Amino acid sequence: MMVPAPSLATSLNPATSTAEVKRAELREIDASTKWPALFLLGSAVGWLLIGTVFALISSFKMHSPEFLGNYEWLTFGRARTAHLNAVVYGWSVNASFAVAFWLMARLSRSVLRHSGLLIVAAVFWNVGVTLGIYGILAGDSTSIEWLEMPLYATPLLFLAYALVGAWAIITFRFGKSPHIYVSQWYILAALFWFPWLYSVAEIMIVFTPARGTVQALVNWWFAHNVLGLWFTPIGLAAVYYFLPKVLGKPIHSYYLSVLGFWSLAIFYNWAGVHHLIGGPVPAWVQSAGIAASFMMVVPVIVVAINHHMTMVGSFNALKYSPTLRFIVFGAVSYTLASLQGSSMAIRSWAEVTHFTHYTVGHSHIGMYAFFTMVMFGSIYYIMPRILLKEWPSATLISVHFWATAVGVIIYVVGLSIGGVLEGLLMNTPVLAHKLGLQPTDDPVPFLDIVRRTIPYLVSRSVAGVLMTVGHIAFAINFAWIIIRSTQPAASAPTLFRSPPDMEVAAQ
Amino acid sequence: MSDVPTPQDPRIEQAGASDESIQKVHAILLREKPEPKEGYTPMPLFLLGFITVMIFVCSLYLIHYRGGFSPMVYDERYDPSKAGANAQVAKIDPVAQGKRLFQTCAACHQATGTGVPGVYPALAGSEWVNGSEEQLVRIMLHGLAGPVKVEGKDFNGNMPSFGPGGGYNLTDEKVAYVLTYIRQEWGNKAAEISADKVKEIREKSAGRAKPWSAEELEAIK
Repeated sequence: MMVPAPSLATSLNPATSTAEVKRAELREIDASTKWPALFLLGSAVGWLLIGTVFALISSFKMHSPEFLGNYEWLTFGRARTAHLNAVVYGWSVNASFAVAFWLMARLSRSVLRHSGLLIVAAVFWNVGVTLGIYGILAGDSTSIEWLEMPLYATPLLFLAYALVGAWAIITFRFGKSPHIYVSQWYILAALFWFPWLYSVAEIMIVFTPARGTVQALVNWWFAHNVLGLWFTPIGLAAVYYFLPKVLGKPIHSYYLSVLGFWSLAIFYNWAGVHHLIGGPVPAWVQSAGIAASFMMVVPVIVVAINHHMTMVGSFNALKYSPTLRFIVFGAVSYTLASLQGSSMAIRSWAEVTHFTHYTVGHSHIGMYAFFTMVMFGSIYYIMPRILLKEWPSATLISVHFWATAVGVIIYVVGLSIGGVLEGLLMNTPVLAHKLGLQPTDDPVPFLDIVRRTIPYLVSRSVAGVLMTVGHIAFAINFAWIIIRSTQPAASAPTLFRSPPDMEVAAQ
Repeated sequence: MSDVPTPQDPRIEQAGASDESIQKVHAILLREKPEPKEGYTPMPLFLLGFITVMIFVCSLYLIHYRGGFSPMVYDERYDPSKAGANAQVAKIDPVAQGKRLFQTCAACHQATGTGVPGVYPALAGSEWVNGSEEQLVRIMLHGLAGPVKVEGKDFNGNMPSFGPGGGYNLTDEKVAYVLTYIRQEWGNKAAEISADKVKEIREKSAGRAKPWSAEELEAIK
């Protein structure tokens, strides 16, 4: 099989078992990823907090428009956009870089080379995002959804990305592992997909704009595919790694993994058009988008079965392991978000729900309940490994989990109900009348609809405050683990409660 | 934690690796479960059936709503074989369209068409509304300013232009719809105004940049 690398453990102790050699090798790989991963994760947490502040500001403005109304820089259009860009390009991309790297290095059994260059790339990325968000707040937004950052920020991002992408591929290329694990497929594919999406979208919309509705088509192709062909594969890669890793059992079925991966690769790319249903786009393009959105049920069900069958018999472990709890929450949300997304492509349903709060609720199941929760889980696992320290406080982890989990559930339920109500009154007043939501079947004045959605908008702010509490708990724990110098003698993992045998003991 | 080497472990003592710092470094890794592997459980049969059904249904959907795969077709229900035979331009009800447009006018003239006494003239029963098309269309296109007598009451205000140069810049059709609506609502029973008539008057008064006064309009009839 494999030839053990001459590593720290073998050079010190020739009697060490293979398992220990493997682990010492992992230790060296972890050590090589330490500084880039730490920098990326630290920036990610910083952006998470900044994004959360902008999220709260925009959420409050939805039901109390006078809130901070005197500041040009914090008008709704800018604050909401700054929120989106801070959490997507700041938090999510930084976190996914770190997780993708760390997983890639470990799974390829390859030490990260010249990690200093990666730190340079990470600095570029964060300077680019800072510049971009400054531009948005200053009023330079391009006003193209998901591509709002002004022209002077985007080339920096692309440069940074090129370095990061190349490094992950080099790491893979130098890998010693004979088998390519499913997480690696997803990461590798995502590393190619993202620059393709981003460069095509920037060129066709911002640099040399295409004519007319082609722009709208490219915009939604990009915005939807960033979720499906970048965040989804990275999130799934993490789930595919941490689920079996924490449980210590193999993934249920290799065949299902293959099927899930390729069906995602084939169908996702088409699905973005469902945002343009009823829009000025040829009917066949819309129909193809809808058909592909339905077909997305296949990879989702396949992945769900694969994960569920891996978990079966180990649900007890959720009581103990923070990583597992976040990851499983994320995996379940992935299934829900995707099935909901497919249903939202149905023409008559899209007419009601699109352009309402319902869509906002949906995107938060995807980006928050799935992706962000999976990243939280991954960070809880990675940090102790690269720092060789344990999380200082299990209570803070617990606060983090419950505040964010309950918060996002309130968020989604509130906005889904409010969004459907809004959509029925706004787009289908006759149906709203039949359902008893309004006394006549006349069109309802817009402001009356806004007033009726206010309770749901308030529920979103409540959920936002809860999630903020969770993020603060997380940030405190994160800063604390970095600055704490003392290493507890037993080196026991920080778990929710004392387990019988969790994340503990080899083989 | 059976496999974690303890200081009593003979292996450790032999190798002289009992240095606590090295053990600490390895402790986190030693307690890890092994790197993940894949199982090889075969795919369940029902899944194969489910995927087949999905492919079948989605293909049917795409074929049914393909719109001839034409870049010119925007309605998924379009069927080229039936097009032409069933081609039918939907009839537009000017009153219904006008009612929708009137929401803007209702800000001053009120939804009931009664206006506000002393400030905004009533439309219901108004001789200007039910009278000459020439005058009414001009008021709509260019606005009306200064003193005017409506149903025996005096008003002195400013009605903005809804035609060229105004912020609304309504098309001939829209002007016709909203005027037809106010001429046939609230008990008014004047004749419909056609878009062609609006177009004709628009051309006649082309170049007019300021609102009309009541005297000017009286002169036109």
